[in-house]
Amino acid sequence: MNEKQYLIKCLLDLGESLLLVGAEINRVEDSLTRVAKNYGAFKVDVFVLTSVINITVTFNDNSLETQTRRLNLQAVTDFKKIEELNALCRYCANMSICEFDENLHKLTDNSPKKIKQYIGSFLTAGGFALFFGGSIYDGILAGIFALLICFLQLHYSKICPNKVFFYLTSSLVIGLCIFLCTLLLPRFNSDMIIIGDIMLLIPGLAITNAVRDIIIGDTVSGLIKFSESLLWAISLAGGFMLAMSLWGGVFA
Amino acid sequence: MIDIILQLIYAFVGSFGFALLYNIKLKRILPCSLGGMLAWGVYLAINHLMHNLFFAVFLASAFASFYSEISARVLKAPTTIFTIPALIPLVPGSSLFYTMQNAVLNHWDNVSYYALETVTFIGAITLGLSIVSALFKMFTKKKTVE
Repeated sequence: MNEKQYLIKCLLDLGESLLLVGAEINRVEDSLTRVAKNYGAFKVDVFVLTSVINITVTFNDNSLETQTRRLNLQAVTDFKKIEELNALCRYCANMSICEFDENLHKLTDNSPKKIKQYIGSFLTAGGFALFFGGSIYDGILAGIFALLICFLQLHYSKICPNKVFFYLTSSLVIGLCIFLCTLLLPRFNSDMIIIGDIMLLIPGLAITNAVRDIIIGDTVSGLIKFSESLLWAISLAGGFMLAMSLWGGVFA
Repeated sequence: MIDIILQLIYAFVGSFGFALLYNIKLKRILPCSLGGMLAWGVYLAINHLMHNLFFAVFLASAFASFYSEISARVLKAPTTIFTIPALIPLVPGSSLFYTMQNAVLNHWDNVSYYALETVTFIGAITLGLSIVSALFKMFTKKKTVE
């Protein structure tokens, strides 16, 4: 691998990790272009989809280099890493390409602390159960089920890479658990608990971001993301509906 | 009044949790969750004054987008990390739930009502977000080209 090919390999690594932590298409394309220009590119043609990155770099001596990377990843939004990667792109002017590569790998290797995610899930579901009109008990129970959701997202999603099936089964299981709990403890309101937990799972922001991409100009990538997240939302709703009608069929 | 204050506090807690779930740097967590609370405040105020759901969500989302663009520039961080927690209280989780519940109970009149409400929310959020971020892009592009 010569120096130019190595540069493009690093660019693709950067693009891959940016997409993995949930950066917008726009940001990925901008960052790749900026970094490539810093390392001697004359013209950068980059096209990013959620599943593939195409990049062709024209260097100052009119030589061309093209590479494609197929991505098969599940984005896990990670604000800290977006920020760090962004800073890395900004300050790449002082680094050689080898240092850049090293720093990039250092960044991508540390994973988020699990305790932070558990506390975050608890607060989100609890807060929104209260927000939509539940009592304080509903909030606490929604938070406890959120811990279960977080556990599923951390561990079950690794066994079950198909997101549609993941959303369908996990919402079914959680729906049934919530109904069972409210049967045993009648002072809780199952509606509010489910709403709180839906806020954790709902890909509403994925849909919003996708529509924004469509409007702003990355139409193709936006459409792909839009249909993907719509499918997730439908399977999530389907899982809860299945739980409700199963429960209704048994106890009504 | 107590209701409104409580709702704002819960919106703050929800946004706080969401930011934490997405592994935010701890020094950024306060401005992030404040965004969610303020956006919900804008929604409540507009909805109270004009009784127009679409317009209220639209303005709240435009405000959230504006807020995150400004804080991104002040605090020197990417915009997305402020946008997502600020928008989360506007996400129509309850409308989606009532759509499902009525569908299971075969109350189809209510299903179309709540489904439309869900779509209205998503549409208004997107429109507000896109317009403000497009405006910011227009004006900042000029600066970077110079």
